[in-house]
Amino acid sequence: MGLSRIAALLRAADALTEAAGRLAGLLALALVALSFGLVLARYALGLGSVAAQEGVLWLHAALFLLGLAYALKHGSHVRVDVFSQRWAPRTRAWVELAGMVVLLLPLCVFMIAMSWDYVAASWAAREGSRDPGGLPGWYLLKSLLPLSAALLMLQAVAQTLRALRTALEGPPA
Amino acid sequence: MSLHDQHVLMLVLLLLGLFAGLASGFPVAFVLGGVALLVAGLGMALGNFDASFLEAFPNRVFGVMTNETLVAVPLFVFMGIMLERSRIAESLLEAVASLFGRKRGGLVVAVLLVGALLAASTGIVGATVVAMGLISLPTMLRNGYCPRLASGAICASGTLGQVIPPSIVLVLLGDQLGNAYQQAQLKQGIFAPESVSVSDLFAGALVPGLGLVVLYLAYALWVAWRQPERAPALRDVTPRSVGDLAKAILPALTLIGLVLGSILAGIATASEAAAVGAVGATAFAALYGRLGARRLLEVGTETVKVTAMVFAILVGAALFSLVFRGYGGDALVHEVLTALPGGKWGAVVAVMLLMFLLGFVIDFIEIIFVVVPIVGPVLLALGVDPVWLGVMMAVNLQTSFLTPPFGFALFYLRGVAPPEVLTSDIYRGVVPFIGLQLLMLALVAAFPVLATGLPDWLYG
Repeated sequence: MGLSRIAALLRAADALTEAAGRLAGLLALALVALSFGLVLARYALGLGSVAAQEGVLWLHAALFLLGLAYALKHGSHVRVDVFSQRWAPRTRAWVELAGMVVLLLPLCVFMIAMSWDYVAASWAAREGSRDPGGLPGWYLLKSLLPLSAALLMLQAVAQTLRALRTALEGPPA
Repeated sequence: MSLHDQHVLMLVLLLLGLFAGLASGFPVAFVLGGVALLVAGLGMALGNFDASFLEAFPNRVFGVMTNETLVAVPLFVFMGIMLERSRIAESLLEAVASLFGRKRGGLVVAVLLVGALLAASTGIVGATVVAMGLISLPTMLRNGYCPRLASGAICASGTLGQVIPPSIVLVLLGDQLGNAYQQAQLKQGIFAPESVSVSDLFAGALVPGLGLVVLYLAYALWVAWRQPERAPALRDVTPRSVGDLAKAILPALTLIGLVLGSILAGIATASEAAAVGAVGATAFAALYGRLGARRLLEVGTETVKVTAMVFAILVGAALFSLVFRGYGGDALVHEVLTALPGGKWGAVVAVMLLMFLLGFVIDFIEIIFVVVPIVGPVLLALGVDPVWLGVMMAVNLQTSFLTPPFGFALFYLRGVAPPEVLTSDIYRGVVPFIGLQLLMLALVAAFPVLATGLPDWLYG
């Protein structure tokens, strides 16, 4: 694979992660609006809806799962940087590379593999909510699990390649 | 080597791996999950780990996805970021600080008061520390405050949410202690057992929680008096008209009143109150002409980053906890506890130390669900008061979350603090507050009536 194709891969991964993050941002606004609507309906009108209540959970789950890769891209995942802040950029890049290969990438593979049967069973049963009046299509909600892990993995691969470049060539000018 | 010994070795390896991973500076969430996975994989290769323990993982994550209580997290984060981006929080802090006049330390007193109020309204460590960090840290730094004092005050007042009711930790703890209390009494042959409820625990935690606020304030005032350069008076405090002050203070007072009032009065759940707070903050931003479509979207995506960060830690901790259990970590703890000398006090001290240490590596919900069911029945059967035990655990865990290098509150603040605040500033800043926490822990241990007095009086 040539360098230009690697660069194209990095750009594609970034674009996908950004799109997922912006979508999640819209879901955050929808979450606030729907939760507030439910409060109004319950206290002002005495109305309740199991489906809308579950809609809040769906939005909440989609928001943080789609955001995992986005947070990785923007460096929002918390680190204990008490030692690493004193290291040279290239040392940090080597450690980052090791962390990606030894910890995060296997974790993504594990999440996809582990949730595969779980989600497949849900699809096979066309699983819906256990509560009467709840939402159908819980297999879609559960499918967010491997999907978010795949998004996270794609961004992790991109970050791994960037760390490798920094480790070999020093930080980009 | 027996299987038991192999398991102990693997547990040691798990903890060593965790510390090494955290020290590498790789994101905490992925270190928790990744190291657990590696050690589990090694165990499967050596034939001493049962892979079926890992099968619970998707269901655990799904439990987090559909937990209605946790919906309060993104909603409170949204409220905090909206208050910050629309500069409402900043105006509030500055208004409260200008109310205290040109007095030194006025701003840190304002942060502690505003922080304790906000903390009490959320009761979620991550959300409160993040919100307080976003709201008040930039203001304090711009006014020449010592970064150590500023970050210490934010971490301390942010974690106070666990101890001041209504707090999610107290709800979970009350639930688990209630179960443990019943078990303990049934084992002793009491078949009409007394119960302990979440309201008992709320009432029990109120006096120690407010006591901590008083201790924090006393410390802040002492620093302002003895080391004025660390908590300077605001340089350019222009006297403000009553209308200006009202305009700055009204939004926050209304929001805090709505959120805290509805939870305290028992009308709304935390998530409902959080939704009202998020919409209220948005409405005030719009009212003051500080809200456009662009800012709204920006608040949305910032909420996503912070929420994903908090939940990644929760998910990582869930995997870690599964592997810990898979190697019999919980059984081992039970074994050790029952063999301890010193009876009741020996066991209590050991459990407090254990929880304190566990607070470094696993989240509070995990601790409550893992530790309390194991140690609770043992301690309560020894005659320990359940409300007192719950309050001690809450204050103890709060202290643990403040303690470097692994306190959770420090991670969360680090995640939102500007880079000019060094991690070592945060670490040193919390030390005096840890001292105050230990003082309160000692007071509650010496005078149990501090915890048990109010519930006894309220509920007889």
